[in-house]
Parts: sequence; C-alpha cells; structure tokens
Amino acid sequence: MKKTLITMLLLGMLAAPVFAAETIKIAITGPFTGGSAPMGASMRDGAKLAIAEINAGGGVSVGDKKMQFEVIERDDEAKNDRGALIAQELASMSDLSGVIGSVNTGVVLAGDKHFQEKGITKIITPAAGSASMTQWSKAGVPDLSIFRFAAHDGIQSEMVVEEAINRKFTKVAIMYDATNYGVSGRDDMLDQIKKQGNKLEVVASEKFNIGDKDMTAQLLRAKSAGAQAILIWGIGPELAAFANGMAKMEMKMPLIGGWTLSMSNFIDNATKNGNGTLMPQTFIEEPITPKVKSFIDGYHKAYNVTRIASPVSAAQGYDAVFIFAAAVKQAQSLDTRKIKEALEDLRDPVEGVITTWKHPFSKWDPANEQTHEAFRREQVVMGMVQDGRVVFGNDSDRQRLIKNASK
Amino acid sequence: MDFIIIAQMVVSGALMGLVYALIAYGFQLTFSTSKSINFGQGELVMLSAFFSLTLLDWGAPFWLMVPGGLLFGVVLGLAVERAGLRLALEQKSEGWILLTIIIGLLGFSAAENIWGRDDRPFPTPISSDAMQFFGVSITPLEISVAIGVFSLMGLIELFKRKTLLGKAFEAVSADRDAAELMGISATRTVMLSYGLSGLVAAMAGILVSPITTVGPTMASALILKAFSVAVVAGLDSGFGVVVVGIFLGALESLTSFYLGSGWREAPGLILLILALAVRPNGVFGKATIRKV
Amino acid sequence: MLKRLLLIRGAEIVVLVLLAAIPLMVSNSYVLGLLTLLAIYGILLIGLDVTVGYLGQVNLAHAAFLGLGAYAAGLSVSLLGFGMLSALAVSMLVGLILGGLLAFPALRLEGPQFALATLSFSALSTTVLNEWEGLTGGAQGLHVSRPIFWGHSVNAQGFYWLCLIFLALVWLAMRNLLSSQWGRAFEALRDSPIATDAMGVGTYRHKVAGFAMGSALGSLAGGLYAFNFQYLQPQSFVYELMVILLLGVVLGGRKSLWGAFFGASLVALLPNLLSNRLLFEVISALGLLAALLAGVRGLMKKTTQPFQAIAPILAMGLLVVGSMFVKNTEDWRKAIFALMLFSVVVGLPEGLMGFAARFLTQLFRIDPPSLPPAAILDTVLPAKSPDGGPLLELHDLKRYFGGVKAVDGVSITVHSGHIHGLIGPNGSGKSTAVNVISGLYAPSAGEMLLHGKALPSGMFNVARTGISRTFQNLQLFSELSALDNVMVAMKGVYCAPLPLVLMGLARGEEKRAQSDALALLELVRLKHHARISAKDLTYGDQRFLEIARALARKPELLILDEPAAGLALPDVHKLVEMIWRIHERGVTIILIEHHMDVVSELCDVVTVLDGGRVIAEGSAEEVKRDPRVIKAYLGTVDEATSAKITN
Repeated sequence: MKKTLITMLLLGMLAAPVFAAETIKIAITGPFTGGSAPMGASMRDGAKLAIAEINAGGGVSVGDKKMQFEVIERDDEAKNDRGALIAQELASMSDLSGVIGSVNTGVVLAGDKHFQEKGITKIITPAAGSASMTQWSKAGVPDLSIFRFAAHDGIQSEMVVEEAINRKFTKVAIMYDATNYGVSGRDDMLDQIKKQGNKLEVVASEKFNIGDKDMTAQLLRAKSAGAQAILIWGIGPELAAFANGMAKMEMKMPLIGGWTLSMSNFIDNATKNGNGTLMPQTFIEEPITPKVKSFIDGYHKAYNVTRIASPVSAAQGYDAVFIFAAAVKQAQSLDTRKIKEALEDLRDPVEGVITTWKHPFSKWDPANEQTHEAFRREQVVMGMVQDGRVVFGNDSDRQRLIKNASK
Repeated sequence: MDFIIIAQMVVSGALMGLVYALIAYGFQLTFSTSKSINFGQGELVMLSAFFSLTLLDWGAPFWLMVPGGLLFGVVLGLAVERAGLRLALEQKSEGWILLTIIIGLLGFSAAENIWGRDDRPFPTPISSDAMQFFGVSITPLEISVAIGVFSLMGLIELFKRKTLLGKAFEAVSADRDAAELMGISATRTVMLSYGLSGLVAAMAGILVSPITTVGPTMASALILKAFSVAVVAGLDSGFGVVVVGIFLGALESLTSFYLGSGWREAPGLILLILALAVRPNGVFGKATIRKV
Repeated sequence: MLKRLLLIRGAEIVVLVLLAAIPLMVSNSYVLGLLTLLAIYGILLIGLDVTVGYLGQVNLAHAAFLGLGAYAAGLSVSLLGFGMLSALAVSMLVGLILGGLLAFPALRLEGPQFALATLSFSALSTTVLNEWEGLTGGAQGLHVSRPIFWGHSVNAQGFYWLCLIFLALVWLAMRNLLSSQWGRAFEALRDSPIATDAMGVGTYRHKVAGFAMGSALGSLAGGLYAFNFQYLQPQSFVYELMVILLLGVVLGGRKSLWGAFFGASLVALLPNLLSNRLLFEVISALGLLAALLAGVRGLMKKTTQPFQAIAPILAMGLLVVGSMFVKNTEDWRKAIFALMLFSVVVGLPEGLMGFAARFLTQLFRIDPPSLPPAAILDTVLPAKSPDGGPLLELHDLKRYFGGVKAVDGVSITVHSGHIHGLIGPNGSGKSTAVNVISGLYAPSAGEMLLHGKALPSGMFNVARTGISRTFQNLQLFSELSALDNVMVAMKGVYCAPLPLVLMGLARGEEKRAQSDALALLELVRLKHHARISAKDLTYGDQRFLEIARALARKPELLILDEPAAGLALPDVHKLVEMIWRIHERGVTIILIEHHMDVVSELCDVVTVLDGGRVIAEGSAEEVKRDPRVIKAYLGTVDEATSAKITN
C-alpha cells in the first residue's frame, strides 16, 4: 500500500504546476500505437514538424517575449476510457494552452466533455465523425471550446454521393466498418442520398470488422444485387481487402469513400487493384506549390520516410498548429480561454499547406456547428488513386488550388 | 447462380479456415508435450512475417526468404519456451499463461517500432490473378496457401511417426513420466515442440501475408479463430483441426452472406459453446477416463 | 490475536480513510478520475479473482460482463428512468443471471476449454451489443447520464465516494464469503473436482455460484463504469482489456482481496503514470535495483535457479538501457509495460501482495488466528452399534471400457460393522469396482443396493447417502491447510443461508466446524499440523489426512482404496491402529489392499477379484489357501508351492 501512496503523492505533485510558464504548453493526443496509429502518428509528426519550425524561428511573440512551444504527447490507443482519462489529466493542468488531436470519434465523445468543462481549447484533427461536433449543438451549449480542423463526414459523404450521381450510377452498395466511424459514415451517406433527391438506390448495406481479411461475402451480396458502385467507409487495410476481393471476383466498379482511402496502407496493399478509387481529400501529397513542397520534403527528412503514411492527417496536424500559433499571437496570452476567443475571430490569414486560412472559425452558435468547423466544401477536393499515389481526381481542382495559392 | 455463390463462399471461407487450422496446429504441438499454449502465438506469426519481408527488402531471393523466415520462427519459438514456459515451470507456477502473453506484448511493441505501425504488402512471385473453376474464382495465391498448409502439416506428421525423435515426441505427449524413465528428455522434447510450433507460425505468416498484408495487428483476429479451432477439434487431433478449420471458415462466409456480415461469427460461437458442452475434449479429441 | 485484528483491520480502515480523504486534500479532476477508476477496477478484479484465483479457471468473459453490466445500467436509466441504485441492481442481476447461464455449458470444462467457452461468450456479447443498434446504439455508442441517487444529483466527487462505499461493501461481503465454507469449496473445486464431489460438497452448485457471483461483481463494476465515463461503446470490452485484467489479478496476487486491489491500482494507474518520462525513469531505475538485489541474493542463497534470478535483471536492464536510446517513450509504452510485468511475474511468482503479505507477517510477527479446542470425538463421530445385516449389496455388477471388461459380473455383500477386504492382482478390477460404487463411473450393468435401496448415480449423490472414500492416487485439496481439508468435507455443520454468510453472521458454525475437524485430525494424529497446507505434508500424513477428511462425512460405509500403498512400515502400523479405532466406532469399512498382513489382521471377510470376477470369498485364512487365488497371484499351481505359501 505504501507504494501506491507514494505514487499518489507524486501524482498530486506532478499534476500541480511545478514551474512557471515559460513555454506554450500544447498537448497532442491520438492513437500512436495499434491499428489507427498511421493516422495518429502522422498527425502528431505533422504537428511536431510545425512546432519545430516555429520554435526554430524563435517562437511566438507574446508580450515582449518570444515563447517556444512545449509538447505533451499522450497515446490514447484508440480506447475510449484511456481517452477520457487523458482528457481528465490534461484538463487538470492549469497551464495548458491547448490540445490538438484525436483520430477516433469514440475517443472524442468519451473525452471532450472534460475539456469543455474546464474551457480548454481543443482542435480536433483528423477525426471526421459528425457526432464529435453535433453532440454540442444537440446539447445546445452556449459556449464551446472545441474546434474541428478536418473535413467532417457531412462534407465528405455529400461529395461521395454527388460523385456517384455524376457518374450516372443508380444502384450502389454501401460498405462500412463496425466502428463508430463506419456506422456514422453509413448514416451520413444514407442521409445525403435522401437529400440529393433519392437518385441512388442502395441495393446492399454491409458491415465488416476491423481485421477482416476476406470480404467475399459482402462483395457477393453487392454483386448479386446488381450494384454499380461501392460506397465505402472504413480504414486502410480492410479497404484494401475490398479492392483485392473485387479484382479476384472480376467486379469492375469504382470504390468511392471517405478520405481514409488515401492512406498508404490502402494504396500499398491494393496496388493496381486500387487504381481509380475516389475519395475526398484535404491534402494531396503532390508538390504543387513551394509551400507544399517544403512541407513534404521537411516531413520526409525529419522522419526519414519516403512517403507519409497518412498525408491528410499530417497536413492537418501541421496547419492546425500554425492556426493555433496565430491565435496565441493574436490573444497575446497563454490563457487557453483567450486563445479560444482569438480562434473564433482570427484576423490575419494563416498560410498553411492545405490552403491559406482566412477566418476559419467564428463565434460558436449552437444552432450551427459550422461555426467551429474549419473546412468548407471548397477546401476539399476529390482525390484518386493512380499507380500507388493519390492524384487529383479532377484537374480543375488542381488548377484552382494553384491559383488560390498564388493569389 | 445461387449454387455458384454458395460454392464461392465455401471455397473462400475454407481457404481462410485452412490458415486457422495451420495456426491451430501450432497450438496442438505445444499442448501435446507440455499441456501449455503460447498465448503470444499470433505475435510469432506477425514477427516472422515481418522478418521475412525484411529479408526480401535486403534483396534475398524468394527461395531463400522462406527458410530464413521459418528459421526465425523456430528461434522465436525456442525463446518463448525458455523465457516463458520453462521459466514458469521452474517456479512451479501457472505463470506461463501470463509470461507468454507478456512476451507477445513485447514482441508486438517491438514490431510497431522496428517495422512501423502500418500494414505493408508482401511481394510474392505467385500470381493473384483469379482463375475460374466452374464459375468459382480462385487465385493461384490461394492455392499456394492450401498446398503450403497441407504439405507442412503432412511433413510434421510424418516426422512424428517415422523418425526416432518424432516418436519421442509422441511418447512424451502420451506419458511424460514414463518417457522420462525410458531415457527420453522431456525438456528437450518440449523445446522441440516449441521450435516446431514457431516454425508452423512462421509458415502461416509467410503463407497468409501476400493475401492479408503484414502489420503488427495482422494476426490478432486470426489467432482467436485458430484457438477456437484447436480447442473445438480437440487439442490432440491434427486431422481434426483441418476439418474444423475448413468448417468454421466456410460457416463464417455463409453466415455473413445470409445473415448479414455483422453476425458473421455468431453461429460459429454458439456451435462452439455447444460442441464443448457436449464434448469437452473436442469433437475429434480422445475422451479421457478419469483415473483416481 | 488482538495484534492480528488490529493490524489487518487497521490497515484496511487506514487505506479506506486515506482514499476517501484524497479528494479533500487535492482538488484535481484527473486524480479524482484515476481514483474512481481504481475503485471500479477494484470491484471488477475482486470479482475476477473469484473465478481466476479461487475457482482456478482462466476466465476470459469478465470484460464482457463489465460491458453487459455497463449497458444494462445505462439502458435502465435511459429507457426505464431508473435511479442509480436500482440501475446498479439491474446490472448486478444481469451479471448474476448470465454468469449462471454461462456456467452451465462451461461446467464440465477445464483449462483451455473453459477459457475458450468464456472467450466465445465474450465475443458473442460484443456482437450482440454491436448489432442490436435499435437498443444499444451499436458502434455509435451509448450516451449515459449519471442518474440521481436517492433524489440527489451526484457530482464527480460524490460519485467517487459512492464507488468507494461499494468497494468497501464488496470487500466486506467477499471477505466473509471467501473465508466461509463457500470459499473453501471454491478452492477445493480448483484442486480436485473429483474429491469435491466425492466429499459431498458439490462441484456443480459451487462452480455455478462462484461464476455467477464473480460475474455479478463484474457487472456491478460495469454499472459504475457506465456512470463514470457516461459513454459506452461495445469495442471497449474486448479481449485486449481482458488480458490486462488477468494480468492485474495475477500481478496483484491471486486469492487475495488486497491482491485484487493492488492489481487494480497497477492496471488503472501504471499506463497513465508511465506517460511521465521522469517518473518512468525513476521507476525503471528502482526496478533494476530491486531486481539486482533480489537476484544476487537469490543466487547467493541458491534459492532460485540461475536463469530465474537473471531474467528480471535482464528485463529491467533492457528497460534502463533502452530508455537511454529511445527518443519517445510513448511509442514504446507497451514494451515498457511488458518488461515491467515480466520482471514482476518472474521475480514475485505469488504476486506483489503474496510477497508483501509474507514480508509483513514476518515483520510484524503476526500469528495465525488461534484455534478453538478440539471437540470430543464422541460428539463428532458418535459410536454406533451395527446390526451385522447386509449394508451394501452388489448384484452382477459390470463395467466395460470399450472392449475391456474391467468389472465383469461381480456380486458382493458387505455386512454392516465388518471390515471387508477386497484384494486381487493388479488390473483385477478392484479400483474400478470401487469407482463404480462411489459413482465416479456409471455401471454398464448390474445392481447396487444400500440398505436394500438402489444407489443413486453420480459421486455427489452417492456421497450424500453416507458412503465416503479415500483415493489410491491422492486427491487432496493441495493448497488448503490440513484443517481446511477436513472442514470442507464436514457434514451437518453448515446450514446458514448465503445472505447471512455474506453479512458475516455465520461465524458460529465456522468455529464448530473447526473444533470438529480438529477432533478428527487428532484421530489421525495430525492435529499439530492443522495449519500446514496439504501439499507440504509428508506422504504418509497425506494418506492419513484423506482418511480424516473421509470421516468428516460421518460415513456409514468408508471405502479405503489402498491406504497403505507406499507407506513406510511405522506408518503402516499407525494405519492399522487407526483403522481399528474407526472400526470401533461402528463404521463399516471396505479395504482395498495389497499388504496381505494388513488384510489378515483387519478383515472379517475378504473377497478376491481377478479379471473382473470374484474368484474367492471368505476369511483371510480361507482365501489364502484357495488354489484359484494362488493361481491368480502366481500364475502356477502345484501342491508343493501352494503348501509353501500357506505355511
């Protein structure tokens, strides 16, 4: 028992602020181990790259001082209860300026209430599940310290359904994984099909588990029901199992789905079977502008890789840090509440790798969760898998982004 | 059409079932000599697959990679035996369950950090272009899995029946004390069984990787299925695992087709509990007479 | 005695008060969150310890019961509008019922098979929670609001205290239960299910009860879990969590409430503490130091095998060296956890609490609780005067194993008050006959009558008719003390219903059982070894303990299956004298024995079996002269040898 007591005491000591705030303390949370780790670790590494750049430039000027960022990393292992405990831990730090991260919507739902309770500013990225923000509008909270920096599933499913309609499909199969992410993706897509005039008939709606390798049953159901395209919501390796299964059964129909189809674990494992797969993207690992090139090169060099496991997560993590830094600068304070206010009214544009962010968030309105969502339809493009890389699905998007950047 | 669908489902399911059977066979090997099971067997599958992939990355030809990967599996199996099982038995404790879990956890973490958290493709010279047999698609890759499973299990069974060392193996599993009295070293035999079990795990990893990709979590779903197959078949029946493996694989496919894929595992699980309730020693296991 | 009470109860109260007081001293929601989780996991692991520690089974369904309890509580609040207490009652009930149901098919299973049955159950429950979207919300999860408690809303601090109160109540109830006949029966069941049935204790109901109660605690913890996290998803309660819980129980120390509590602290706190680099380095350096000290000491004193001493040092060394090279410890968290666990499991095989308990008992010189004086043997085993009529009749009894006719038409009548010898060469069917009589094997054909009435089937039922036995291959409850071995079999003492036992109101019968058991131990000359666990007794004493245990059934018919096998000569004399004394009390005895002199000295009638058939019956002297008996033992008959033997 003595040992537990000592740890308790230590814990109490550690939780209390020991040294004066000389740095901007920012926490990065997400799954850094386990199945969702490619997204979590890419996001973290993108964010840390941005932090390294800011720190190398002297930091952020607050008052008459240049402040450096200090990172607190927490691995939530994609487990809800771990996420809740981490949120409690972070929320009880009195000198924390903000939090960036979360990949799994379940973890967000389990943990974010602790941040909101203490008014700690959090930018969710790259978790895209709709419920992360709608939980607050449903509850009608008057003031919210949670922001999202990801193309939420609402936008993505809208684009996916639109794409299927544009390609003149009438019968589609919906496949989704048995997680919060997959199921809410399914609901969003069904919702969008209704919204866009019921032009698609859902002939099969099939679930799969994380770790499933054999998708024959699901595909056969889709095939025998006469589906022309497969709309899919899931994470990398299982998606690849679909692409490979379709090739095996000679089902020549496109796979259209959430942004996770751009993850390297899909592209590498589906190889040529992945060609032509379409998904909404906020970032494409193609050096179309100098800023993007320097980010991609910087990432490759810093982490000694030739390709980013999840470019979208990395770019979002990177941009989120710059937006956060801009808010700190504008607030001229390390106080998380002041930073939140600054985020809601960011005056100067922030140049990121995804786009140049102009006033990404506004004052929270419980009737409209878009106020705390950074991404609009125009920041998202349709990406396509082509010979092991993600390219722009429509060249017009590419031109538009180049033009925007040069403006 | 309907018949073809059923045939396709059965074939695809049965092929996965063969992989379950192979891993289950690894459980049987160690159980027969030492009444213990390596709860980290899935990590052996995964680590061997990663190691084989690294051999390929280093430029080793395919024919060299296979024995290299298998050897690595044997080494891992022996390591588990020494640091997990034997260590626990030296203390006369039931700690082997925990130690094997813990060693597996260590292996998992090491793989995550050495090879990355991402799933990676496993290149193979065998084609994955489908061939049609009466409307059922099968890839040469899948056929290679079946051949690999049967030939390895056949070889080990032959070894157990035809060689002196193999007979020692049988002797220890029949009666450890009597075998010791006959001058057979039980410790060495248990080591041998763990080595073989590592070999089987590595083979499973190499066979299945081109289909399922290689990643730290690649075996976590497989291993629970394999465990079910081993126990339902009976922990002493090599023939049983193949039958039960194929049956379970096909059943899962058919269930997910007819009941919806969310319920994929449910009938198998219910059957499993019932099978155990009726035949505690497994469907193909020998009923033991309690002697007092 | 007072010191013992003071120290042990004192420690419990001090810890409870300290835990309760922490939120008053430190106002920090994280500490509060961790403590709440600690209390919840404490309840969870105490429940798991019932199946893993006491019943000795690898139970992989406990995480599922946590989940089922959580969903039951959450749904009864959101759908039925229940308050906190009634919702928690619902979750306990769900655990109790489902746990009992699962125990039924799992009853006959042991080891890996039991593990698999529970694993399948947990996979099945995850599937149902996932697929029943209309009720549970499926993978999207279920939001749970913390309900009112007797009309008051509960804040985080209040909820923590509530969890703590539950932990204390569970602690008290389980302490009462596990130190009663129930706890002993659980352990007996683990060590020898056969003997548990043969002693009339009953594996069946105890296994079901133990499993149901452990599961109910898991579900209670689940209810608290739901109100703590307020958001549930089916995939939180899967295999991965289960493994961690198992590790927690074994690390803390099995069969101990403190152990479960320690395990809970490790499981709840360690992953979160390791996030802190400084703390991690301190812990790993201390760990290495401890491993080094223990290892070197073990090697010097030669109490441990070399590799056993070196392995923890290697593991902790790897940790310390590794931490110097690794940039980001967060990436290696699982490996760190694994290395620490490895060292603890190897270095402290009894778990942290097992080690601490031994250490503390030595440090404070705590004596075991004193025993009551032994009862008078006459009250425990009243002398009877048998009428000499037929007690047990076997008519044409047969038992085949496949083609082997182990018992092939045996007819014997055992008269009350006799010592009836059963002899025959190896493989003649003696033991099988006895196993059929005692219900271990069902007869293939034939009739068995006790007092003219047919014997029931099954060992447990036979034991209840007044037949008791010992075993040729010892079937002691090896981890129980000699005293407990006898107490667990004691007939006619335990009658308090379960609720009274849980409340600790059944101590009276416990005392009575102790003094009765001591009287029987005195009869077999083991009273001075009452506190020693059965596995640590000498071989001869183990044989005698089995006899004492069989006598605790207060049998009418006692079957002794080769009691002298492997005994040294002085022990054989002790045995003969012991059997005489039992015989004097009017107990009818069937004695299976190889020692002819023992048989000649004791038996009134001797039946000789060979090849599953009766070949002779009569007094010891008569059967010794019977040519068929001589042929059976020696294989040849001629006048000369037969004359030689009989002379």
